[in-house]
Amino acid sequence: MSTPEDALDRAREALRAQRAAGRYPDPPAPDPPPSPADARRKLLEWAFIEPGAEVLRSTRRYGAPITAFKRLLYRALAQHLDVVVANQARFNLALLADLERIEARIEALEDERDP
Amino acid sequence: MIVHQLLSGAGPRDAITAEARAFRGRFAAWGWGGDDLAARIAPGLDGLFRSPAQLRVRDDDVLLIHHSAGLPGLDEILSAPGRKLLLHHNVTPAHWLWDHAPVVAAHCALGREQLPVLVRACDLAVGDSAFNAAELSALGAERTEVLPLLVDLAPLGPAGDPRVACAPAPHVLFVGRLSPHKRQDRVIEAFALYRDVRAPGARLTLVGEPLTDAYADSLRARAERLAPGAVRICSGLSPAQLGDVYRSADVFLCLSEHEGFCVPLLEAMTLGVPVIARAAGAVPEVAGKAAVIVAEEDPALISELLHLVVTDATLRETLIGRGRVRAAAFAPDPVAARLREVVLATVNGGG
Repeated sequence: MSTPEDALDRAREALRAQRAAGRYPDPPAPDPPPSPADARRKLLEWAFIEPGAEVLRSTRRYGAPITAFKRLLYRALAQHLDVVVANQARFNLALLADLERIEARIEALEDERDP
Repeated sequence: MIVHQLLSGAGPRDAITAEARAFRGRFAAWGWGGDDLAARIAPGLDGLFRSPAQLRVRDDDVLLIHHSAGLPGLDEILSAPGRKLLLHHNVTPAHWLWDHAPVVAAHCALGREQLPVLVRACDLAVGDSAFNAAELSALGAERTEVLPLLVDLAPLGPAGDPRVACAPAPHVLFVGRLSPHKRQDRVIEAFALYRDVRAPGARLTLVGEPLTDAYADSLRARAERLAPGAVRICSGLSPAQLGDVYRSADVFLCLSEHEGFCVPLLEAMTLGVPVIARAAGAVPEVAGKAAVIVAEEDPALISELLHLVVTDATLRETLIGRGRVRAAAFAPDPVAARLREVVLATVNGGG
């Protein structure tokens, strides 16, 4: 029997016994911070825009016809939308390439300063 | 008296939206008028909230700003006449969100940037917890007040019989948005150990609206890898359905790393579910002595705590009893009376 105040101490004690018996693995290492490479990979993923008609839906109770109409409209406008999406993706990728160049330049300057 | 309310976003299962609607009900009962406005309005709520562009404030009016994320056009809003009351619900730190929902992260980053501006411009700064009020003081607010969240838990239904003795297959529950800062990943990890070492038949339910479908899928994949077939993740529950889930739970486990208030703690306590919670943000303050509060991150320790809370009838009884008393301290009527005082203090100049 325990109270909320001593529950934590009892759990720690039980854990020591369980660990000694090999029933639990050692405590996990803390999560590593996201690396610059992870961040770049994410940016690259997001730079490509791939919209799809499946995200278009109606949240109304009997919204199926509205959903169908929205998707039809999307397909009818596809020719125009494709151009917009291609232009935006081109801009995103150009910006990302510039960012890469700036990062490389900063790294080079840092290396020069602190060889 | 006219009290307008402005929210950064209004959603169907959002605690702040629910509070704004509860406030409006109280205002109407006191004979006070005003409009409710939100910068982002979810479909279905457009009849209840209007765009901030439609805000019309007169000198004698009060503008109550519920702050939880960025508000577009804030300078214009603050330059409008009338008294301003800031209610700080806290803003999720953006670093949790950039990798998963960059637009939401940007709203949160903007919200953080806007907080000092709001503190300077508002006549009275209020937090819905002492934790939130302390942030306002740190930003230079001369006088702060605490106004706990006004939540009506009646739609969840009655508590039912206290589950002092657990079934052989204990049911662990967490309720909160499926979002990285709520750490459902850690809940799954600790639960998987608990299931492996202490309770092979145990089940875990995670309830919450997903930040993104991709994030919910990543949690499902983690659950299938660590505890195949034992984890249920559900969204879009009605209050009655949510109440049923609470009533079937043996223990509520919250490992969230950022909470400005944490309504599910009160829901669990009201419905007689013992609580284990991580000491983060306003959690220790809201839970009081009615929960087992843990600072360590070791999932094996959480597993042992789950085992203790599930198997020790005296501990369960104490937690259930204290939980009901603690939840009663946040009953709607006293909070509404406090709301009235805070609004009237704003009319009288705040300081």
